[in-house]
Amino acid sequence: MTEQTESQREGVWAHPYQLASGQTQQHQLGHTRVWITLLDLEWQVREEKLDIHSDPLHWQETLGHTVPSADIPVQRFVRMDDQGIVRFNPAMGCRPTVIRPFQPLTIPAGGRCLLYVGTSLWMKVCVGDGQTELTEIPLAVPSMTWLGRNTMEGELCYASSTFGRLALEAVPKRPWRAVTPVTIINRREQALLLERFSLPTPLLALYRNERGQLWTPGVTVECETDMNSASLNIEQSVPACAGQCQLVAPPREKLAKGRRLVRAFDRMFG
Amino acid sequence: MIEAIEATFIQLISGIAWGQWLAAGFLLVLGIFLGTMLARSVGRLVESRTSRHHQVLIRRLVFYVIFVLFAIAALREAGFSLEVVLGAAGILTVAIGFASQTSASNIISGLFLVMERPFEIGDVIEADATIGEVVAIDLLSVKLRTPDNLYVRIPNETLIKTRVVNRSRFPIRRIDLVIGIAYAEDVERVRDLLLGLAETNPHCLEEPRPFVLVTGFGPSSVDLQFSFWVAREDFLEGKGGMMVAIKKALDGAGIEIPFPHTSVYAGSHSEPFRIQLVGSEQQQEKELPDVDNKT
Repeated sequence: MTEQTESQREGVWAHPYQLASGQTQQHQLGHTRVWITLLDLEWQVREEKLDIHSDPLHWQETLGHTVPSADIPVQRFVRMDDQGIVRFNPAMGCRPTVIRPFQPLTIPAGGRCLLYVGTSLWMKVCVGDGQTELTEIPLAVPSMTWLGRNTMEGELCYASSTFGRLALEAVPKRPWRAVTPVTIINRREQALLLERFSLPTPLLALYRNERGQLWTPGVTVECETDMNSASLNIEQSVPACAGQCQLVAPPREKLAKGRRLVRAFDRMFG
Repeated sequence: MIEAIEATFIQLISGIAWGQWLAAGFLLVLGIFLGTMLARSVGRLVESRTSRHHQVLIRRLVFYVIFVLFAIAALREAGFSLEVVLGAAGILTVAIGFASQTSASNIISGLFLVMERPFEIGDVIEADATIGEVVAIDLLSVKLRTPDNLYVRIPNETLIKTRVVNRSRFPIRRIDLVIGIAYAEDVERVRDLLLGLAETNPHCLEEPRPFVLVTGFGPSSVDLQFSFWVAREDFLEGKGGMMVAIKKALDGAGIEIPFPHTSVYAGSHSEPFRIQLVGSEQQQEKELPDVDNKT
């Protein structure tokens, strides 16, 4: 492959990038490096997990004519009528995500608390004006956990690598994470010890504000009588603290009527 | 003579009510056809709402109900009275029951299996020293597909009598690995190393928490049990991947995984023990020392 001058920019979600045949676009985002190559008859997607222990701050996007070494596995997709347009759409996890506060937190009887939670995203590679999805790439290696009363009843969830924070400033803002404000209301007569809770990530839509940060609508959990009977409510829009936002990705699953209670009754708190 | 036989034959043939028999046959064929069609469409209708197991059960039920209805209609058409047929069937059942006890027992065991539901189609079970995925639960037997792609038929009666392990019932499974380390090694350091591996392995669940137990002091090693949980479908990858990771990590940290040692000494290299016999001189003269007569 011939080397050409490569331009490095900051990547943008849901932006229509125009590629010419033979060009390769490289993205370094979160713990993943992705290469998208456009050829005359096919798209090629390569992905590599980065073994880094820090939280990368930026999304680096590079356009050039160099493809990575042959060791990196390649996924090939037949081209259709796409005019060389590729978009990278964010998506929330397909399973609920278990969040922990930094330290177990007690909510007194009748009290409420607002926690800000950052969850890792998935990147959907979509081509053409119709946004045909080619593949989906996790931007951080998802680790799994089990949430349930015992090992028979429960649900497999993703474990969040970050903690829920009381102060919005304490939540690290990254282009590969979305922020969700979670309000927990304790209507019981006893205090509620919050060690971990399950955030229904597949039900959350994603919005982008003018600073390029991704937000989801707020989630309210009301704990009424005992730990297992909590009701869940997802707001229609993002909170005011997120600023002016526009929708970039709809939720993976629609909240079906009647399902709300089932989910909430099931296992909100571990 | 031949003419007489011919006449009798013609009389016999013309005596049979062909129309009735044809109608009965047609009804039977129609029953099979309609039953299959209806079972298929009902199966498709419930496909998205139920498991594969229930779908197969519903399809069978629909088919048998339709077929039995058409069979009764066919018998009526052929001129049989239903009461007589049922009576005959009763006598026949007793006779057949005695003659085919095994089949009857299998059928009844099959009914119990369907009611008790210890496993469903698609589950991986372990029964009668066979491990495999359940591909069919039939009237007489359950069919399994083993991991090496063999088709195994296990009679229902055997399944009722023996211990059956369902490996797919719960969504998560625990993997217990037994690891032996040398007596000279620091057990706590090894424990921390193993728990660190569980934390970095993507298949390993964070909760229920992984743990390490010292299970015993073996002849040549301190035996540890390293237990961690994985999602059911990640069992093989989780186990294999973790074994490789453990070997690498222990080698990297310079921790010895001992194997049984046996020392064999050749007689020529070791001096024999010196034995001095104490007793009367006579005896000493009679009995020559076995080992060393220089002393």
